Amino acid sequence: MTNRRSSSLRVRIPHYVALTVIGALSLFPMYFMAITGLKNGIQLEENPFSLAINHPFGIFYRQAWDYVDGDLLRTVLITAASVAGITVLGMLSAYAFARIEFLGTGLLFYLIFGLLLIPSFLTLIPLFLEVRSMGLVDNPLALILPYIAGGQAFAVFVFRSNIQGIPEELFEAARIDGASHLRMLLHIATPLSRPIMIAVGLLNVTSIWGDYVFPSLVLPVSRQTAAMAVGNFQPPPSVPDINVVNLQFAAYTIVSVPIILLFIFFIRYFIAGLATGAVKM
Amino acid sequence: MVSITSANPLALDDEARRAERRASSRRKKRIINLKGWAFLAPTFVFVGIFCYWPAVRALEGAFTTWDGVSAPKWVGLHNFDQLLHDTVFLQSFLHLLWWSLFGIPVGMGASLLVALLIYRLDSKRAQYWFRVAFSLTLCLPGIVGILTWSNFYEIGGVIDALLSDVGLGRFGTAWLANPHTALGALIFMGFPFVGAFAMLVFYAGLQSIPGEILDAAAVDGVSSMRRVWHVELPLIKGQLKVILILSIIAITQNLLPPLLLTQGGPANETYVPVLYMYENAFQYAQMGYALSIAFVLFVASLVLALLTMRYLRTDAETRKKVA
Repeated sequence: MTNRRSSSLRVRIPHYVALTVIGALSLFPMYFMAITGLKNGIQLEENPFSLAINHPFGIFYRQAWDYVDGDLLRTVLITAASVAGITVLGMLSAYAFARIEFLGTGLLFYLIFGLLLIPSFLTLIPLFLEVRSMGLVDNPLALILPYIAGGQAFAVFVFRSNIQGIPEELFEAARIDGASHLRMLLHIATPLSRPIMIAVGLLNVTSIWGDYVFPSLVLPVSRQTAAMAVGNFQPPPSVPDINVVNLQFAAYTIVSVPIILLFIFFIRYFIAGLATGAVKM
Repeated sequence: MVSITSANPLALDDEARRAERRASSRRKKRIINLKGWAFLAPTFVFVGIFCYWPAVRALEGAFTTWDGVSAPKWVGLHNFDQLLHDTVFLQSFLHLLWWSLFGIPVGMGASLLVALLIYRLDSKRAQYWFRVAFSLTLCLPGIVGILTWSNFYEIGGVIDALLSDVGLGRFGTAWLANPHTALGALIFMGFPFVGAFAMLVFYAGLQSIPGEILDAAAVDGVSSMRRVWHVELPLIKGQLKVILILSIIAITQNLLPPLLLTQGGPANETYVPVLYMYENAFQYAQMGYALSIAFVLFVASLVLALLTMRYLRTDAETRKKVA
């Protein structure tokens, strides 16, 4: 054992070096984004990589905040409502597939799973026309309802294999006590699925938060999402040309911060949730 | 029909009781079915309205001409015939092919490499923190990542600065505006291509390999490379399969980079089918033609996904098949 340990230490150093380099490269765009918002245009042209920042410190962040603050709140509401819907409906269905032996289990599961194979581009056009004919254009529901539907396939697929992994004895004990399915879902399956629910929730948050194409079709600029604000960025006329890029990156950073905070807060669960091995076929 | 048992009142009683029990078990079964369906109902209402119905409309719309306002007009295979002679479309399919041939293996390979490197670390603590570090890459909203990369590609941007730092400054160009480099620049976006989600899924798979198997391999003196190829990869086939299918679908629907950065230009060099579909639908109001592009793309990605499911058979499925 000690032998293996010491020999492994020798070979592990290249692993650490490689991981550090790849990790730094992967995170570089984030570093670049945050730092560029703090520079001014001249500094950016001199050396895009440097950490040097000075006057006018933070001014771009303040201007960018004025530009996106309302959109940010709207996006938080849309994202929260969608993810809540995805999780609640997904858990209900996943529980039924994992624990109730009803007629058509297999067929209905494939009907859900098969949705993973329907790409968003196929439904984009009819979905837009449908939402428009429902009179939902300009309404956040035009996003929330399709997002809830679109999140079902993956959520049900992953939640189901997680619930299937819960030891049978737990449910057996509850059934002897006369617990209904709804109680078992609430008091056994849900607490034991918390990490995977958080993991799936965060993945949905990132994709909904960063979605641009569908929101830009159904929402007007006056009621846009944060991703639309970033994609349609128009610098205020008071900002000199040389500083536009800095202002843009300050806005990018502000739009990313809520996600970063969410990840820092939940990262433990996120890692644990995806470590359960529920994502496989 | 007169049966012998009917002569016996006790037996008749027995028969009735059995029938009643059958009826009650049937009733119980029906209640179980209703319960199951009740749990599923909300999901099916949502996916019915917002996934299946639009998908059906999309597939039938492919055989029509349609401006999205008036009623669609059935034209049979006309759109597909037109597609076959549409050079922009054919070119766009070729671009997607290059993009996939590079993007899918490299993206999966990079994620797998990082998962393996982390898995091989001796300290659980280090394993955890590296997973955290790579997970943070998910925090950058997709659109922000794309816009950041477009800034890297500008004249005098990060890429040019790096090139001139190593003495290759003369190769600097407007990467996204130069017809020779635009498609390559789009494909190269996201370097070093590690997908945090894929990496974590692979890591979870590696983690669940039973210790005895690895010990047996160690006793047999299996080299590190052979261990990856003959022990670890076969045992995470279930994960590789999911990620491969998700990658195929993700790359066919990757609309945002060309839409935001190049709009298919310069000289049509960065058209991909999904962008051409988008433009036909929302700029030229040719919904039918756009949907026929979606149809072809959908069938292509579906066939690839089904082939993956068919030929990457996991051990559990093989066992089921044999049994």
